[in-house]
Amino acid sequence: MRLDADTMKPIYLQIAEWLETQILSGKIACDEKVFSQYQLAEMFNINPATAAKGLSILADKGILYKKRGLGMFASPDAKAQILDQRKGEKLKHLVLELVLEAGRLGIAEAELTEMMRQANEELKGEVQS
Amino acid sequence: MKAIECIGLNKVYGENVAVDSLSLVVEHNKMTGIIGPNGAGKTTLLKLIAGFLKATAGEMRVFGEAPFNNLRVSANAIFIDDRMVFPSSLCLDDICRMAARVYANWDHKLARGLLDYFALNPKLCHAHLSRGQKSTVNAILGLAAHCPLTIFDEPTLGMDVGVRRDFYRALLKDYMQHPRSILFSSHMLLEVEDILEDIVLLKDGYKVLHLPLPQLTEYAVGLAGNSDALCALTENREVLHTRQISSCFSYVVIKNDLKRGDLQQAQLSGVDITAVPAADLCVYLTEQRKGGIDDVFSQTKSVANR
Repeated sequence: MRLDADTMKPIYLQIAEWLETQILSGKIACDEKVFSQYQLAEMFNINPATAAKGLSILADKGILYKKRGLGMFASPDAKAQILDQRKGEKLKHLVLELVLEAGRLGIAEAELTEMMRQANEELKGEVQS
Repeated sequence: MKAIECIGLNKVYGENVAVDSLSLVVEHNKMTGIIGPNGAGKTTLLKLIAGFLKATAGEMRVFGEAPFNNLRVSANAIFIDDRMVFPSSLCLDDICRMAARVYANWDHKLARGLLDYFALNPKLCHAHLSRGQKSTVNAILGLAAHCPLTIFDEPTLGMDVGVRRDFYRALLKDYMQHPRSILFSSHMLLEVEDILEDIVLLKDGYKVLHLPLPQLTEYAVGLAGNSDALCALTENREVLHTRQISSCFSYVVIKNDLKRGDLQQAQLSGVDITAVPAADLCVYLTEQRKGGIDDVFSQTKSVANR
């Protein structure tokens, strides 16, 4: 397996994201054991300490939990957590883009919020009709 | 446990200060990269650690003992580079047998397996091998010796890209099966960074930094955009590298201490923020030359135009 050398993301983050995607796609079920740092090191050709850092990020977020002497396991709500977090990131990014573009077009904040309110209403109207 | 500890280490050759008041602690069982440009003092430092050289001043301990003239350190360390010399009467098989007598943890199966994999006939004489093949044999000796302190000084010189790739993987697998302290010097950080845990960056004989690799990848950020906007952003900050891309567009690398507000300011003024690959960062941190290679050409060009 190869990591994407072109992306600027640190490898341990790529490992964490790869594990998240495995959980999202159901390849790793909740309460199932995930790969060990040595398995990840072997799979991606990276130092086991780097792989461990990827795992510990997910443990800190509560997506994985540790069983003493047995390894890391996917939390019961891992999938929901990852979904939430990815939604949050995506939306935040879109909003930022929106605000930036509005700035470039010289649209004031009040006008922008009004536009969002209108768009929301139009959508509601479409649903009702 | 500390594998290596040096305090205020100095090594002077005549006028040349090769290692300059260097202090360093390497914990046992880590894979550490010793990185730096030509003449940074990588080889001298590694030879001091191996006990091949005597320090001019300062303290050096390997597994708690001074390595120079020390049998215990010699028995527990192996130093691999491309200048290893073996008696011409010995074939590769003989060399392996000798190594088995010297190194307590020698893994004969691994040595023979790797020689076989790299199509190196054990009946061949070391002196008759090509440069890349010699490096490969030396690297195999370094792996199979399973020494508690294994030092590779530019082990991949002359190896072709396929052999290098296989060697890095062999090193990683063997390290995981037999954890030990490994020092690895290279000027090709890009190739080896993934398998390293820590990096020691040297310049002019002193230590620029000693960091875990993930921290090194987040040490700096690159900003690309309008020169004026960049000036405003980089004011009062440590600039590690600057490159003028066009008359009003530049690329600047600064230490990664941007706050949230700075990031927004950057985005608002149309400045792109990018991560700086570890290999590039090491080049920027050890740059000797003022400006860039482009400046040489722009100068010669202006002379020619006259």
